[in-house]
Amino acid sequence: MTKRQTPFVILSTLMLAPSFLLAQNYNTQGVTPPPGSPVSPARMTFFVTSAGIGKGGDLGGLAGADAHCQKLAAAVGAGGHTWHAYLSTQARPGQPAVNARDRIGTGPWFNYSYAQLGPPQNAFISADLGDLHGDTLVQAQRGNNLFKQSARNEHGEVIHGPGDTPPIQHEILTGSNWDGRAYTDNSDHTCNNWTSSSEGSARVGHSDRIGNGSSWNSSNDTNSCTQSALESKGGAGLFYCFAIN
Amino acid sequence: MIRIKTSALLLSCTFSLAPSLLVGQVLRPGEYPRGEKPSPMMSYFVTSETMGDGGNLGGLAGADAHCQQLATAVGAGNRTWHAYLSTQARPGQPAVNARDRIGTGPWYNFKGEMIAQDLAHLHGDTMELAHQGNNLNKLTGLTEKGQIVPGLYDYSDPRDNDWNYAKTTRFSTRHEMLTGTRTDGTAFPDSVDYTCNNWTSNKSPAPGTPNGNLNAAEGKPNAQIGFPDRNGGGSGSWNSAHGTRGCAQTDLPKTHGIGLFYCFATN
Repeated sequence: MTKRQTPFVILSTLMLAPSFLLAQNYNTQGVTPPPGSPVSPARMTFFVTSAGIGKGGDLGGLAGADAHCQKLAAAVGAGGHTWHAYLSTQARPGQPAVNARDRIGTGPWFNYSYAQLGPPQNAFISADLGDLHGDTLVQAQRGNNLFKQSARNEHGEVIHGPGDTPPIQHEILTGSNWDGRAYTDNSDHTCNNWTSSSEGSARVGHSDRIGNGSSWNSSNDTNSCTQSALESKGGAGLFYCFAIN
Repeated sequence: MIRIKTSALLLSCTFSLAPSLLVGQVLRPGEYPRGEKPSPMMSYFVTSETMGDGGNLGGLAGADAHCQQLATAVGAGNRTWHAYLSTQARPGQPAVNARDRIGTGPWYNFKGEMIAQDLAHLHGDTMELAHQGNNLNKLTGLTEKGQIVPGLYDYSDPRDNDWNYAKTTRFSTRHEMLTGTRTDGTAFPDSVDYTCNNWTSNKSPAPGTPNGNLNAAEGKPNAQIGFPDRNGGGSGSWNSAHGTRGCAQTDLPKTHGIGLFYCFATN
């Protein structure tokens, strides 16, 4: 136990050290989750991956990404659901495009805090696909309930964004347009359908709705598909996971 | 080999320092930035102070005067400031839409960062604009004094819901902006109250009537609110997320507001 904790402590110290040197350092993410809260992640049907796969935009395709979702969910006791990554792939010869929105069931979706933070409005991500994607103008203007404090990872932790202690990881891979569908142009928006860790580009959204507007699923394209390129721009190769059942 | 290692170390130090420096510039929510004055471009802010009488702002005129007064206090009184508030139609009195009161933009915050280019960008008038969203977020939705507005879990103090505590501090959750407005920036139909009776009421729901849910209802004093940090229940809407428990000053903190609102310069 002690042995396992040691690297973590070192890591934390390294991460905290520069922060202590700075006056006015502050976390805007607050307490997550409140200490002593009962834990029931089995009711969770949405999370942001707590870690990426580590190879930039190479997720091993959709299958690899889905397996990552399933593995992370199982590790916190939420493996009873079937988990899919919220990712699109683009059409290739003899291979039609896949839309992220067609992969995630029909909702409603709840985050980790469904059983943790009390009022359901803190935990509710979206009622259905139309609400999630803003299919009507009013829905789009209003936005879904995916915001910084609700878009948590499978441990219930908030994803750090601008204003928080580094590393900042709020650029979430989606490869999707605003409507949750694949791009149909000739540019790469999916790191070659999630197989490239070098050349290419991935469309990302911001889990805290901060940056180039406020889209959760489609705000900008990455410079490249390497892990270091993702990290240098406030990402980590994280993605959204939804339970389809 | 050693050379490579050294440069790699230097490189990684640089990388790890860069974000820290950015963080160093981020203030504790509610804190005043030291020695900083508002950008001369400032044409948008969140009120740093509440008027203190719940949903009674003295009507639109009273709210506008509050904006002007706060702006003047920080040297931005050369512009004409209006509160981003709608009023509902009354007999012989047409509705007023918040979006029709704030000029045409572009609007900039305390730091000179652009909040929105024009009315269509601010409100998301087309599908594309609505999905993209405007540039209002936790780090840009600043007060006229440059404060980040404290939001969910910044302080996690149970007393945040108590006005007697909230009025003694700058550091309690207070991210619910009164708007009385629909997502497109227009007024609600007049059947039920979304505007604390056109910003003249400080009433609580009558004893025994349900006040738990945050929707407008028959006979219930209520104000529609939005979040400058896009970070709250109902939806992340900046101008139309949900209603309040009532219009009394003591009711507003129950859902993390204290009666603040948005001010925009019309010129």
